[in-house]
Amino acid sequence: MIERLSHGPASVHGLTEPFALSQQMISKHIAYLVRARIVIKTKRGRESVCTLRPEAIKAVSDWTISYRRFWEESFDKLQVVVNQMKKEEAGDDGKHG
Amino acid sequence: MTENTVNEVERMVVTRVFDAPRELVWKAWTDPKYIMQWWGPKGFTAPVCEMDFRVGGKLICCMNAPDGQLCGWNAVEYHEIVLHEKIVSSMYFSDSKGNKIDPAELGIEHEAIDGAYDVTLFEDLGNGQTRLTFIGNDPMESAKNSGQLEGWNEILDKLAAVVAELAQAK
Repeated sequence: MIERLSHGPASVHGLTEPFALSQQMISKHIAYLVRARIVIKTKRGRESVCTLRPEAIKAVSDWTISYRRFWEESFDKLQVVVNQMKKEEAGDDGKHG
Repeated sequence: MTENTVNEVERMVVTRVFDAPRELVWKAWTDPKYIMQWWGPKGFTAPVCEMDFRVGGKLICCMNAPDGQLCGWNAVEYHEIVLHEKIVSSMYFSDSKGNKIDPAELGIEHEAIDGAYDVTLFEDLGNGQTRLTFIGNDPMESAKNSGQLEGWNEILDKLAAVVAELAQAK
C-alpha cells in the first residue's frame, strides 16, 4: 500500500483494488497509517484521498530498526568489544598495568 | 529465568553468554568508551556518547546510519543499579541534550508499556563466563501482541524499498 502511495496520492477505492481485501479492512489499515502520521487523508468530493508523508517515512525508516534487531546486533558487537578487552587485559598482566 | 510475569505483556528478551568474567562485561556495558563501540545495529555507529552512570543519571547516545547519516539521539535513564548484577533503565528517543521526544513527532507509532522498564542482568556462570540478559519494554512488540498493530511489520518491510525510491526521486 505504501509502495502504491509512493507513486502519488490515491483514493481509498483505488487502494482497495489491487488487494484481495474488503474496503473495510483497507480502511482500517489506512487508519493505522494515518494514526502513525505516515499517511494524510483528505476529502475530495465523496472520495477520501490518501497521500504519503515522505518526511515521516524517512523518519520511520531511520528509527524503526526493530527493537530486537537493535539489541541482538548490539550484543554481536559487544561480543567483539569484550573479546578485545580480554586480550588487552591479558597483555597488561605481564606489564602489571 | 524470568520472574513471575503473570498479567504482564510479553517482553522481549535478548540473552547472550560471553566468554569473559562478569566485571569485564559490566565494564563494557557501562563505560562510554566501550559503549560507543557496540551501540546500535550492525553498521551503525555511535560517534557521541555521554554518560552519567548513577541512579537518576542518563546515557545520551547519537546514532549514525551505515551511510554516515545522523539518524537521531537516544537517551537511557537509570532507575536502579546493582554493581556487576543488574541495571534497571528506560530508553527513549531524545534530542542531543537528552530531552525526551514524543515518538509521534518522528512519525512513530509508540505504545510503551506504562511503568515498565528495561532490565539488564549480569549472571556469573563460573569458569569465566557471563550471561547477559536484556529484558526490554518493547513498544512495537507489545503493541503487536495486543493486536493493535497488525500489519505493522509488513509495512516496515516495505519501507526500505520506498525510501530507496524516494531517495532516487530527489
